[in-house]
Amino acid sequence: MSLWADKHRPGALGRLDFHREQAARLRNLVQCGDFPHLLVYGPSGAGKKTRIMCLLRELYGAGVEKLRIEHQSITAPSKKKIEISTIASNYHLEVNPSDAGNNDRVVIQELLKTVAQSQQLETSTQRDFKVVLLTEVDKLTKDAQHALRRTMEKYMATCRLILCCNSMSKIIGPIQSRCLAVRVPAPSIEDICHVLSSVCKKEGLTLPQELAQRIAEKSGRNLRKALLMCESCRVQQYPFTADQDIPEMDWEIYLRETANAIVGQQTPQRLLEVRGRLYELLTHCIPPEIIMKGLLTELLNNCDGQLKGEVAQMAAFYEHRLQLGSKAIYHLEAFVAKFMAIYKKFMEDGLDDIMF
Amino acid sequence: MSGSGPGRPAEVAEWLAHPFDGFLGSRGPCAAAAVRPRRGGAGRARGQQQQQRAPSPAAAKSRAAAPRRKRAKPGAADPPCIQALEELPWVERYRPKSQNDLAVQKKKIEEVETWLKTHIFQRQPKQGGSVLLLTGPPGCGKTATLQILARDLGLQVQEWTNPLSLDFTKEDLRNMFGHDSNFHTFPSQAQAALFQDFLLRANKYNKLQMLGESSENDKKLILIEDIPNQFYRDPGSLHEILRSFVRRSRCPLVFIISDNFSGDSNQRSLFPTEIVEELCICNISFKPIAPTNMMKVLNRIAAAEASMNRENYTLDRSSLELLCRGCSGDIRSAINSLQFSSAKGCSLEKEFWSKKKKSSTIKCDETGVSKVRKKSKCDTSEDQEIQAIGGKDASIFLFHALGKIIYCKREAVSEAECPQLPAHLSGHRRDTLLIQPEEIVEKSHMSGNMFNLYLHQNYVDFFSDIDDIVRASDYLSTADVLCSNWSARLVMESYSASVATRGVIHSNTSRAFAHQQGGMGFRPLHKPQWFLINKKYQENCIAAKSLFSSFCLPPECLQTELLPYLAMLANPMRNQAQIAFIQDVGRLPLKRHFGRLQLEALGDKDPGLPELSHGDGDPEGLPSSQSSGSDLPSSQPQPVAAQALLEEEELRIEEYDSD
Repeated sequence: MSLWADKHRPGALGRLDFHREQAARLRNLVQCGDFPHLLVYGPSGAGKKTRIMCLLRELYGAGVEKLRIEHQSITAPSKKKIEISTIASNYHLEVNPSDAGNNDRVVIQELLKTVAQSQQLETSTQRDFKVVLLTEVDKLTKDAQHALRRTMEKYMATCRLILCCNSMSKIIGPIQSRCLAVRVPAPSIEDICHVLSSVCKKEGLTLPQELAQRIAEKSGRNLRKALLMCESCRVQQYPFTADQDIPEMDWEIYLRETANAIVGQQTPQRLLEVRGRLYELLTHCIPPEIIMKGLLTELLNNCDGQLKGEVAQMAAFYEHRLQLGSKAIYHLEAFVAKFMAIYKKFMEDGLDDIMF
Repeated sequence: MSGSGPGRPAEVAEWLAHPFDGFLGSRGPCAAAAVRPRRGGAGRARGQQQQQRAPSPAAAKSRAAAPRRKRAKPGAADPPCIQALEELPWVERYRPKSQNDLAVQKKKIEEVETWLKTHIFQRQPKQGGSVLLLTGPPGCGKTATLQILARDLGLQVQEWTNPLSLDFTKEDLRNMFGHDSNFHTFPSQAQAALFQDFLLRANKYNKLQMLGESSENDKKLILIEDIPNQFYRDPGSLHEILRSFVRRSRCPLVFIISDNFSGDSNQRSLFPTEIVEELCICNISFKPIAPTNMMKVLNRIAAAEASMNRENYTLDRSSLELLCRGCSGDIRSAINSLQFSSAKGCSLEKEFWSKKKKSSTIKCDETGVSKVRKKSKCDTSEDQEIQAIGGKDASIFLFHALGKIIYCKREAVSEAECPQLPAHLSGHRRDTLLIQPEEIVEKSHMSGNMFNLYLHQNYVDFFSDIDDIVRASDYLSTADVLCSNWSARLVMESYSASVATRGVIHSNTSRAFAHQQGGMGFRPLHKPQWFLINKKYQENCIAAKSLFSSFCLPPECLQTELLPYLAMLANPMRNQAQIAFIQDVGRLPLKRHFGRLQLEALGDKDPGLPELSHGDGDPEGLPSSQSSGSDLPSSQPQPVAAQALLEEEELRIEEYDSD
């Protein structure tokens, strides 16, 4: 038994649940026989990967669904061995080059070279190009992106690239202009409700409309999250009721408690506790950027409208530093301290106003 | 005391003439090299040996003569021996002769004395051997204290000395002594075996009765200052030997180990806490000699020299103080530099100097060193001067370095002295700092980055106002960003440390003025948790990727969406490793009260560098909710039952007391 999100993933462009118009266009694109490099972007949980896999299936038939995970080791010019895992079928290769960290350039060059240098055998029945799917392209270093630009032109004859990312803003212009950009927007609330109901119907469950609505709203228009939520609701309680609790992820609850702790008291001791909680979040695999963002969201909910601008600005400032620096805790803590000071001052001023 | 072995023929001859030569014949050279009995007062004998090795040519000349004469009577007033004494380095000549002479803290002496008394005179018959460990920086009087106490208590001291190096083969010996000599029995045993043998013998047999030495007391102790090299490589073998020693032996064993400032300390590797606890080893740690005590000794020596010696130039009080400061509590080096500077400034030169002075002032740099010092006394470069003369590079333990930064001592300045800051900057007014943060970081032998981490771990406890913390944390954040570019890191690191330390010092308004210094009390310092946390983060991310690669998700989605929900779903397709990992990482300890992370306290003499090399992920600094994630679960699937146990344990995390 697999997760609902995987089990009920649509397998063909025709069966996609939303953005149907775009799906039709993609199908036309494939039926023309050839297509340019693609740059698929959109928020997390909008169905980018699903769409791409549908596209590949449209191109090559059911053969692309026979996936195998391979571990490749590539030797960098500095003689350093880089281990990277790829997911491949006979027709395509999926890789997340940012797994290799600073060596992503080498990975891109070497992998593309090996794929592109081998021709497809039966060009009569198959397409005469392979597809390389690169995920998280926005996490690539500038170096790797430039390497990608050169490689894209060089191997145009034998391979097509599909780049997948959340935001196009971190991708250099030359790559943007060499690709056909396909934006996959987040599904609307209605779309998500619709998908949830149909999935539940397939599972033989009845989902109250109100609960579907609530899940959809809570998921932040992230379909994967919505499906996971729905499934965990099922584990928690069935039959569904319209007003049942939607389970939240532990780290979100923990982060909210942390935010409450920050708002509750502004002392050095409390800061030390918050530091401990930040460490706890980090050890549970929550990336520092997510912590910063989540903390900001929670804090903004908690503080007066007057402060929001300043708090958001401070968060942006320290998030930038966090990206520049090497040890996240300094910056997270500095942000927390700063918020504490701003909030405390605001509260004290407020008290003074009341007193006089 | 390598001189005790048959290194060169000449020395061997000397050895044979030595009263201890009975050992050579009776036990073979192995024991002779190893067992070296000496009476309590035999610090003398040691002194002679050291003196023989002293590089000073004058000392070498008198090598043959000195021992006999000195043995006769080491009094300073005895005319025939003045000549001999003069040749001795002052360190030997003014070796302390009684407890009163010792510059060591009285409390420490008492501590050692009590230990010796309880373990020698009040020893139960069935009681095993006991072990004492004396530690402290070099030149703080560890050996001297022990020797004097042993003499006062009438104890025999048997000392281990490392035998000849082992690559000195039988062949070499035979060549040296001629083929007909019967040295063929020279053992080529390992040092460790020799050491064990020595302990056994020293424990069993009393020393031979020497002519003219009374034997009213057969109490003794075994002293080990030279530790066989083998044990540094393999401390386990030492522990084995010690265990059997403690079981069987009848007399106490004393180890003397000098502290090491840079990273790996011998004491920690040879005597880890487990073994110290197991064998009830008593550790008495000596402090560097206090300046006042040091001044007393130096004064005494200077006075004695002045009274006895016409020609030597005596230093004035301020120069002595300079010496005191320059040697950072090492009395041996202080006396050495005292002798050195006195010798340089001999009276002849002084006259020469005063004559020349009128004609040319340029030459002054080349004349007597002490002159230059005296002259530049009021100079600002005083500290530099000390370093140049006999002083040593002071280093400080991380613990003290952090303390100096955090407790930042200040000196009050009077209103008149410093220009007043304008009103809008008055918040930045601080008294003069008495410390140099950059210097402290440098002396702690630690990279700036690492020092910042330590500072970051500990600074919050010492702040009372949140606004101060905002500034301090901002400085720390800036310091981290400064170091971000790896190609420039080496250069930027010192700047970064400077920003961080000065930032933290300046931000703390509650310690801005000299009169606010007190009232802080002792607060424990801790080791940074960042390394552990970061390592765990990386490990968990890698584990997540490898365990759940079949989901084909980017890491961020995997970690923040899939794993937490998987933890809530009952999904039977996963294997044990995955289940354990999900429970571990996907779940967070949600409690109303805050469990504080257990911190690892930073000890007085701990080396700063975290031991990541053999850190098998043992999550000491983590609450138990994390403890099962230490090794990659893929390699070690964990039963669900263990998880339940852990959950229970989690409840025992100490609650935070919010007062």
